[in-house]
Amino acid sequence: MLLLNQFVRTARFIGAYAAANIQAAMEYRISFWVQIFTMVANDSLWLFFWWSYFQQFPVVHGWQNTDIVVIWAVSACGFGISAGFFGNASKLASLIMNGGLDAYLGMPRNVLLHVCISASDPTAWGDIIFAVGAFLLFLHPDPLRFGLFLLLALAGGLIFTSFIVIFCSLAFFLGNTEGLAQQLLGTLITLSTYPMYIFNGAVRVLLFTVLPAGFISFIPLLLLRQFSWSLLAAMLGLHRADHVGGVRHIPARLAQI
Amino acid sequence: MNTAIADHHQPIKQRLILSLRKYNAVLRVSVANNLAYIMEVIFRTLFLIVLIYVFEQLWKTTFAVRGITSLSGFAINDMIWYLAATETIALSLPQLTRLVDQEVRTGQLAYLLGRPCSYVLYHFAQYLGERLVRFVINSAVAFIIALIFVGPPPFTWMGLLAWPLVVFLAACIDYVVYFSIGLLAFWTEETTPFFLIVNRMALVLGGVLAPLEVLPQPIRGIALLLPFSAVLYGPARTLVHFQLLPFCWLLVQQVITIAIGSLILYAIYRLATRRVNINGG
Repeated sequence: MLLLNQFVRTARFIGAYAAANIQAAMEYRISFWVQIFTMVANDSLWLFFWWSYFQQFPVVHGWQNTDIVVIWAVSACGFGISAGFFGNASKLASLIMNGGLDAYLGMPRNVLLHVCISASDPTAWGDIIFAVGAFLLFLHPDPLRFGLFLLLALAGGLIFTSFIVIFCSLAFFLGNTEGLAQQLLGTLITLSTYPMYIFNGAVRVLLFTVLPAGFISFIPLLLLRQFSWSLLAAMLGLHRADHVGGVRHIPARLAQI
Repeated sequence: MNTAIADHHQPIKQRLILSLRKYNAVLRVSVANNLAYIMEVIFRTLFLIVLIYVFEQLWKTTFAVRGITSLSGFAINDMIWYLAATETIALSLPQLTRLVDQEVRTGQLAYLLGRPCSYVLYHFAQYLGERLVRFVINSAVAFIIALIFVGPPPFTWMGLLAWPLVVFLAACIDYVVYFSIGLLAFWTEETTPFFLIVNRMALVLGGVLAPLEVLPQPIRGIALLLPFSAVLYGPARTLVHFQLLPFCWLLVQQVITIAIGSLILYAIYRLATRRVNINGG
């Protein structure tokens, strides 16, 4: 009961900040909508490239147009959730360097959560709109499948956020790591939006460990193609392991896949 | 009379030389500034390595699965060198739009307008310096990575000779486009969305993900007509598959794009500077 209460309070806290961030962005209403529209157009352009690719090569390794739509929708929605609700995580390194954490340390809420949710990137809503729109438009899912999509996108969003927090937190030991975190985030986004069949061997192991792109898009694709409780448990189990740093559990989870 | 004409032209020539020296100095300072943070520039090449690796895997798999050795005239070796060339150009673009946007918003522009040099040319020299450093380092890294992945490049000496010229003209097109977008900060609340959409169109329709021959018709035809192809596809194709006639067409396309882009930039700049109010210091 206590845990449930805490969960509800935290959810309300995140929701209140998200609403405040949207209101702040809506101060410049036209700019806000232009940013959202351009992000939808931006994501659609990438999807257009893949449409062109599959026009030339209809089925490669059993992959089709709809599979690309799924990995793009899950990745974009996950990234949108991360940047929309936890948008300040990417500024963590500079906050550490400039002593910006002091303002949060005196507050009664969890410091890391408070830092992460205190800013939002308006373009993130464009990613979410694109992802939901593309998933509904191209895959015509039933309500259960759509619910699963949202759950997996949420897990992906938490993985993105955890990843950014880990690499930005290195600023405590290595100096300003904002550039490093941005480069690695760019790499993670890129790797999560390409078909997994093109990667082999050591790189595939990397995609399920250091750069968890496989858990952001590939496992969700498998689950949305053919649902399995064990796979879902592996996915959510890894997500928990990410948070507590239980990296030693990952190979065991992978063995279940 | 000849002496009079010579005297009349001398100051213009001298002014031109002095002006060139001035912007050359800005360019050299920009190169020095960027070399001072060389590790950051080298660090950025990590993303370039990842992209070349991803494309190499994607196209190698595609060629293998379809059992083809050539796609629209591109063998796998040509394809990877082509993609390395386009990525080298694309990832050497400095954050020009954001710089101009910030200068307009913070009022920094007013200080620069008072200097004895053109605001547009000053930024052009600075941009060229930064782009040069990034481009040289990207080229070195891309060359090594592509060499490891697919072996020696298919370049001809004519392609190698033409490459610096077409890349310079491509950089000029990028400058007029992204500088103009930055100046839109005089009228709009945020210029990033415009940058983002133009940049993404340049990547997808400019041929950075695959040669334009891979796109289906009529999109291929439209993409070839758009200025984006003169920035990425054209220069990379010139390097990998040099042919005299397409090279001449590319030069014509680049010069026309720069001429039209410069006129638009000039018009926006004139309109924008009319809105600047400078109050005493």
